[in-house]
Amino acid sequence: MPAPKLSRIAVLAAKDWSLFWSDRRAAILCFLVPVVLASAFGIIFDRPQSTGTAVKLPLLLVVESDSPYVGQLAQAVLACDRVEARIVSRAEAMALVAERSPGVAIVLPKSFETLATWTPGRAGDRPRMELLHNPLCTMEAQWAEGVVTEVVLRCIAKAQLGPLISDADAALTLPFQSESTAISGDARSAFNPYSHSFCGMTLQYLLFWGMESGLLLLRERNRSVWLRMRSAPVSLTEILLAKALATATIALLLIGFTFLMGNLIFGVTVNGSVFGFVFLAMAISALAAVTGLMVAAVGGTEARARSVCILVILGVSMIGGLWLPSYLLPAWVRDLSLAIPTTWAMRGLEGVAWQGRGLIASLPNFAAVAGFTACFLAVAVARLVSNESRRRRGYS
Amino acid sequence: MTAVDGVSLDVHRGEIVGLLGPNGSGKSSTLAAAAGNLDADSGTVTIDGISRSQDPNRFAAKVGFVPQDAALYDELSASRNLEFFGQLYGLSGIALDSRVAYALDRARLLERSGDRVGTFSGGMKQRLNMAVALLHDPPLLLLDEPTASLDPASRDALFADLHRLRDDGHAILLTTHHYDEAEYGCDRVVLLNKGKLVASGTIQELTRTPRDGRAVLYGHLGELLPKYVERGLRQRLGPDVELEIIGHRVRLSASGSEQLGRALGLVLAEGMQLDTFRTPPGRLEAVAHS
Repeated sequence: MPAPKLSRIAVLAAKDWSLFWSDRRAAILCFLVPVVLASAFGIIFDRPQSTGTAVKLPLLLVVESDSPYVGQLAQAVLACDRVEARIVSRAEAMALVAERSPGVAIVLPKSFETLATWTPGRAGDRPRMELLHNPLCTMEAQWAEGVVTEVVLRCIAKAQLGPLISDADAALTLPFQSESTAISGDARSAFNPYSHSFCGMTLQYLLFWGMESGLLLLRERNRSVWLRMRSAPVSLTEILLAKALATATIALLLIGFTFLMGNLIFGVTVNGSVFGFVFLAMAISALAAVTGLMVAAVGGTEARARSVCILVILGVSMIGGLWLPSYLLPAWVRDLSLAIPTTWAMRGLEGVAWQGRGLIASLPNFAAVAGFTACFLAVAVARLVSNESRRRRGYS
Repeated sequence: MTAVDGVSLDVHRGEIVGLLGPNGSGKSSTLAAAAGNLDADSGTVTIDGISRSQDPNRFAAKVGFVPQDAALYDELSASRNLEFFGQLYGLSGIALDSRVAYALDRARLLERSGDRVGTFSGGMKQRLNMAVALLHDPPLLLLDEPTASLDPASRDALFADLHRLRDDGHAILLTTHHYDEAEYGCDRVVLLNKGKLVASGTIQELTRTPRDGRAVLYGHLGELLPKYVERGLRQRLGPDVELEIIGHRVRLSASGSEQLGRALGLVLAEGMQLDTFRTPPGRLEAVAHS
């Protein structure tokens, strides 16, 4: 078989570029969609970082005792500057928590009256504080439990120590202060919450772009134009390499444009090595292109390929931490995620984008993505060549 | 399943050879093998002594393939399509520009060169389809059912064009299942049936010895005929006259010219609009089915 000729690959890739730009509106949308997706994700998941004001937890309080002591406890919770609490009935709390507005309620039961006479080391049943929370708000429930526990303990301590010391409020002040600092890995600039969404959404969109390219190849193979190309002095390898080249170069443009928009609109920057970012972008673009070839190789019909592809892309996006940071996923999923390229790509991109990672430090991620790409390319080309061989023998 | 078995044929420069046969007879498979799109289990295809297995690129450069459907990118302009396929055959620079201009002129599409192919009519697409195949000036032109979607006027124009190409020294191999087309459009006919070569030769050779002496008339309906009209017509024509209607095409056959004339009179009296009709010189169809 003659070696692939670069000039023919360039001609074929230029044709795919022409096809891409032939529908200008579609092409412009192709560039805008990842920016819009990343912006939307960024806005939704943005958390204030340096506004100077503490974030308050919305909280419902159900008070089931008329005793003055439990009333004092409730007032102390309402006065706490770390929650935004209001008193409601149990029925109201159940309904509001179910609707996640807000997602947590604390019930101060009648048995809390016994805390008024509590002494250290006393035996017997302890009163039970009840936490009502929406299934999606387990973290908020833990937060609320901590805050209310602290408030109640302060009240009990004040009651116990009041007769002994003159200024109980001052005496019960925490003996230390806490200060929070966001660590992004680079001391030069602060963390930009949009960095994660721009890395994740760009990656996810590139996989979809790869899928579209693969579906286009599937469509092309079923048209007469494929017969004409196959009767021309062009090898299948040249056609496939050209398809991959066109897809990858457009993917590279997409990455550049998306991050440029991220920079201009939300100040997303590459805090780490720019070369590391470029290398990773190239590897990720190649991965997107090879994804397209895989789709064409194993997809069968276009409709079947599309459905399976959407499922796979959404799956690897979720597991790879493209939507939410991977530390939120169960441990076994985090282990599993090491076997998929999106994890390495995402960690690499985040590393150079906002964790300040240098060129050398980003090389393992680059190598992993490039390795996955090479494996997928080998499988896809072998399968496509085999399919074409069967078609040429009349088995299509 | 064996699509084509033991078919051997030559096509010489300056002649048009028609691969003729009913659907499923192996015409397209034979043409696809000749174009290098199908690999035969055995046998070879050579052009000027070059086989595809020896030198696929030189072999491909000697073939101009015209698939049945327009093998073009609807999203691109006519000139961009021509440029792309020309570049695949190694054309570039001034040579490419002049060949593209010549092809557009030949296809009568110069004024529409910048328009997207998707906006073209069927006839325009077919002209461009052929222009693409001729761009690199191949000695052999292969056409798969080139008249399948053409009206009679476009079909006649296509054959006029093919005859000019033949006179310029091209070798042309085309497939068709229309016997009348093969008879008036081709210099030589290869008849296939069920994947086997039934007969081959010039029209005169194949029609020299009539077997049943039936007279045949081919026509083209201006409008599709309702089924109930067709049934009534068949009853009136009687059992001695065969009437075959496929879409707009009509084939009328009778035991002699006199009977055929009477049948034609009945057909015309029924109000059928026959745009064209003619009687072929021989009984090519009978040979194919023999």
